[in-house]
Amino acid sequence: MNALEIKNLTKSYPGFTLDNLNLTLPSGCILGLVGENGAGKSTTIKLILDMIRKDSGTVTVLGKDNGDSIRLTKEEIGVVMDEVGIPECLTAKQVGKVMKHTFRSWDDAEYSRLLQKLSLPDNKPFKEFSRGMKMKLGIAVAMSHHAKLLILDEATSGLDPVVRDEVVEMFSDFTRDENHSILISSHIVSDLERLCDYVAFLHKGKLLLFEEKDRLLAQYGLIRCTAEELKALPAESIKCQKENPYGMEAVVLRTALPSGISVSPISIEELFVFMVKERR
Amino acid sequence: MKGLLLKDWYMMKKYCRAYLVIAVVFIAVSLVSNDNMFFVFYPCLLCGMIPVNLLGYDERSRWMQYSGTLPYTRAQIVSAKYLIGLLAQLVTMIGIGTVQGIKMSVTGDFVPGEFAVLMLLLLIVSTLTSSISLPFVFKLGVEKGRISYYVMIGFVCGASVLVSGLLGGQQQVEMSPNAILAALAFVGIGVYSLSWYLSVVFYKKREI
Repeated sequence: MNALEIKNLTKSYPGFTLDNLNLTLPSGCILGLVGENGAGKSTTIKLILDMIRKDSGTVTVLGKDNGDSIRLTKEEIGVVMDEVGIPECLTAKQVGKVMKHTFRSWDDAEYSRLLQKLSLPDNKPFKEFSRGMKMKLGIAVAMSHHAKLLILDEATSGLDPVVRDEVVEMFSDFTRDENHSILISSHIVSDLERLCDYVAFLHKGKLLLFEEKDRLLAQYGLIRCTAEELKALPAESIKCQKENPYGMEAVVLRTALPSGISVSPISIEELFVFMVKERR
Repeated sequence: MKGLLLKDWYMMKKYCRAYLVIAVVFIAVSLVSNDNMFFVFYPCLLCGMIPVNLLGYDERSRWMQYSGTLPYTRAQIVSAKYLIGLLAQLVTMIGIGTVQGIKMSVTGDFVPGEFAVLMLLLLIVSTLTSSISLPFVFKLGVEKGRISYYVMIGFVCGASVLVSGLLGGQQQVEMSPNAILAALAFVGIGVYSLSWYLSVVFYKKREI
């Protein structure tokens, strides 16, 4: 079963359109949404959760249409938004009590364990938390009710590298269960590169690319050469290119290149930046 | 919905202490003040604004968005605010009612029918504030909603001055306390229910 299926999803605002988005997240996998500010990542997440109305298209979450029974489906979804949204006067202990009466499968022991693991104080009001601590509390809540799907909007931003590493590890552990899946959007592409099975690039509301990460990294490569050397390559092998003071850099399709050409591996971040700049 | 109510309870405990202090002071002053109903009604008016103020804090902390990710319907989110408001209004009414009841008994002015009308009137005054303001707030957000509420109140006050001016010369209809009680209860429940319904409709349409 797919944890998430998005078909022809469209949403228009004045000056912005999320245009005909198609994405699929198989169960047990992690899908990373990569995009610059205003690319449509948060809009996509809000549409999945039925927080805003779609203009057209369908969204199926954990096998159910998100319009019909989204309230019940949300019992099985853990969400962390870029601004966590917990009331400022509440302590972590009070948040636990509120959530106990919110989620049917709330697990007090798991929540306490996560608070301890993430070094979060029990009785300090939320407003006194640092941004990193706020994110950690959001993550602890999202992971304490046996969710099958985690939706994380910039959930690793604001965390220091050590905690980020720990949190990324927690997400990785979460998907060891093949019924568990994660949709994560982040500016920190290195986290997504480490975590994700699938990667989707969004740019100005349009899906530039959606592919299995390993296939993507195997398919594409980076070459650095002179302009003449680049011209000599088959046009269909060059996906995008840029000039720098030392010559040319190009993202190439490995399979379309003649043999004997030296190709360096490309990172997801490099690929994304290349593709976005090419569009501009 | 228990979770929503509990969250609002925690917020009320933290942010509404000033209301409690003002209500206690006004209730105490109403004990010694003769025939000045301002001290009796003012705490109720203030109390009617509690749900709107809680929504203000919700908006500031982005709880409105976060609650959209939790397993609650929009109707439950709206209903929680009406219920917590009603609870605060009932507590205020009971507080004022107890003190006024004792005062009336001591001075020998206690008439059960008139006392019941006064209590119901207190409850309606406090629910009316939230009944009128909440649909605006759920439709437009706290800031725009508050402005719309004040415009609306100005309009209603102007209209009532105009109407009372027009009817000033006419003979007033005498009503028994029981009839007044029934009419007040009917108006109060009707306005609160209509307000709740409008808020649910508006909030369901709002994109958060």
